[in-house]
Amino acid sequence: MYEKEKGLVDAFLRGQMDRRSLIRGLGALGVSAATAGVLVNSAATRALAADFDWKKHSGKSLKLLLNKHPYTDAMIANLDNFKELSGMDVEYDVFPEDVYFDKVTAALSSRSSEYDAFMTGAYMTWTYGPAGWVVDHNEWIQDESKTNPNYNWGDMLEGVRKSCAWNGRPGGELGSDDAMQWCIPWGYEQNNLSYNADMLEKAGVGVPTNMDELLEAAAKVQAANDGIYGIGVRGSRSWATIHPGFLSAYANLGENDLTVSSDGKLAAAMNTDVSKDFHAKWVKMIQDSGASDWSTHTWYQVGTDLGAGKSAMIYDADILGYFMNGGENAMAGKLAYAPFAAKGGDPTPNIWIWSLAMSKFSKDLDATWNFMQWASGPEHGLFGASQMDFVNPVRSSVWADDGFRQRLADSYPGYVEMHDVSAPGASIKFTAQPLFFDLTTEWAASLQKMVSKEVPIDEGLDQLADSVNRQLKDAGLG
Amino acid sequence: MDHAPIWERWLRGVALILVVLFFMFPIFWILVMSVQTNETILRSPPSMAFEPTLQNYQALITGKLETQAGSLDIAFMQNLWNSVLLSVCSVALALVLGVPAAYAFARHKFRGSEDIAFTLLSFRFAPPLLVLLPLTLYFQDIGLADTYVGLIWVYQLICLPLILWIVRGYFEDISPDIEHAYRIAGHSWLSTFRRIALPLAGPGIAAAGLLAFIFAWNNFIFALVLASADKQPVTVGALAFVTASGIQYGQIAAAVVLSIAPTLALALYAQRYLVEGLSLGAVKG
Repeated sequence: MYEKEKGLVDAFLRGQMDRRSLIRGLGALGVSAATAGVLVNSAATRALAADFDWKKHSGKSLKLLLNKHPYTDAMIANLDNFKELSGMDVEYDVFPEDVYFDKVTAALSSRSSEYDAFMTGAYMTWTYGPAGWVVDHNEWIQDESKTNPNYNWGDMLEGVRKSCAWNGRPGGELGSDDAMQWCIPWGYEQNNLSYNADMLEKAGVGVPTNMDELLEAAAKVQAANDGIYGIGVRGSRSWATIHPGFLSAYANLGENDLTVSSDGKLAAAMNTDVSKDFHAKWVKMIQDSGASDWSTHTWYQVGTDLGAGKSAMIYDADILGYFMNGGENAMAGKLAYAPFAAKGGDPTPNIWIWSLAMSKFSKDLDATWNFMQWASGPEHGLFGASQMDFVNPVRSSVWADDGFRQRLADSYPGYVEMHDVSAPGASIKFTAQPLFFDLTTEWAASLQKMVSKEVPIDEGLDQLADSVNRQLKDAGLG
Repeated sequence: MDHAPIWERWLRGVALILVVLFFMFPIFWILVMSVQTNETILRSPPSMAFEPTLQNYQALITGKLETQAGSLDIAFMQNLWNSVLLSVCSVALALVLGVPAAYAFARHKFRGSEDIAFTLLSFRFAPPLLVLLPLTLYFQDIGLADTYVGLIWVYQLICLPLILWIVRGYFEDISPDIEHAYRIAGHSWLSTFRRIALPLAGPGIAAAGLLAFIFAWNNFIFALVLASADKQPVTVGALAFVTASGIQYGQIAAAVVLSIAPTLALALYAQRYLVEGLSLGAVKG
């Protein structure tokens, strides 16, 4: 790097210059904004080396198992900096999302030592952790000799950090004092509203702020715009239908999936009066204003329809709306974002957390932790969020960065405000227990029957609760 | 000569056209999608008015997709090469092992022959995952995990039983008298097998080889569990266009066209053998 550029970057790192001034200054020296980002991150990485012996595992090699995702792309784009910093080599296998967890499960259940670390969702660790396939990362986080002093674990958003920790007891509170940190948060999704502002404006409706308004707005916007449907939500027979908007609204009403008795026994809680009333509204919303092929809709269909202008809004992951506002989507640049609380008031979205976890069968866990703390550290978080599509970042410091906030505010109207309002209440709202995937998939199947009017809502929920209780009992949990 | 009345021939023609349209429409639609951008594919309502583009094929072949959102690396041609390598080598090995075995089962009745043949067939019954997880452990121990050799070996679970049972039926269909006459003329068993049995069973072997190739080509789970990303076949590789940030429908369609091309070309070339081989081998005289 030439002296003038180096001087500017160092001044920025010392806090004597804001990011915008830096990019303007580098621009004057003929350096593009993208290159400026890489330069800054490279210098930040060098600065990291001052406080910690990153070279301790120099010469060692790691292999990662990754999902094809923008988070992965951001990490790969910055990986050379880690290699330079640590002197380690990092190989990786990237698999398509459709088959990714099959590959992870096969690798872990066969106790393969091929992969040292992998991407996972927090829900998956409820299986991997008790099975002994992943480590308790607390052992490394709390070891000052293994973790760099600037890692700043407390900088992770509390709800997100706690949602990745569980004590392994069915029904045990996430993030409790005795919880094991089964995975390290990497990027996460809140479930809120992403909407087509032009369509809502044409219908003369405002952004809904509670469940009744959501039903009304979805119906009105559908009636006012030709050839579209009002609201996109997932509907396939999968656990993934329950966890986004559906559970976020459900939990906001104070409802639970399961209850835990004083002796630790679990019982179904989805057939209460409040739950039945909520299910009735949700089902009516889909019947009146949802996609005609709702029962096949997954992440992909919900997002694609919003991006193509076939739906007016979605109640799903905020980053799904984020992605649909760019690329080659017909509605790119026309989407906006809003927090949503079914009850009104403060939103409490359920979240999905893409995380990193170390395999118990890794050949060298200490060396792997070197990579883990870099990949989940504040420097890479800021690089990914400001230069790539590494949203939503899991660190408060990244959310506080003016450059990142301005970038979002410029192209994603309402996104920053939505996040700021929702983050304090954002966490996993499910009860952690090993039958999670079976029970939520059955919940989705019941929802399908209710929407197709195969079964009345009251009866469907009673049947679901009976079945859930039976399964819990059979598994020794109920 | 067709003596059916005109109206019957006309109706038959219409019915045939309808059947062809019904079966060919998905392929036609995929071809059309493969020369469109994502934006035109997702138009609502769909329209046939668009400017054709080869950018999807170009992206697959060059390995780089340039979009407004940035540049995307694509490993599809590596996936295609893996499929060709795994399928061709697996079928070749299965033919080398399976054809002599099929001949032995057809011509020489020995103690336990039926049991052995059935055991080989039973490999096709076992759920792949049941076999693959323990196999992964063994492969790691003996150094075959994540190798082409290991995969070709595992692909024998698909190819070998298929070839063995189809070709066996075909050998049984050929009269042994011809072979006996050749042996009486002083020729060895091996020579009889090479010069008489193999040429007569040619169509059956071709048909079995082609079917085994199609099954091997369509396999998904073996490489997924046992190998790294760089050794994945097209069946896994094509899924890479379905990402969290959107589905690249144009590239998926182009990938489908490219991935069915080898099997389609092979099937068209060998369809005569396929029908003849399967029908002759299936019925004992």
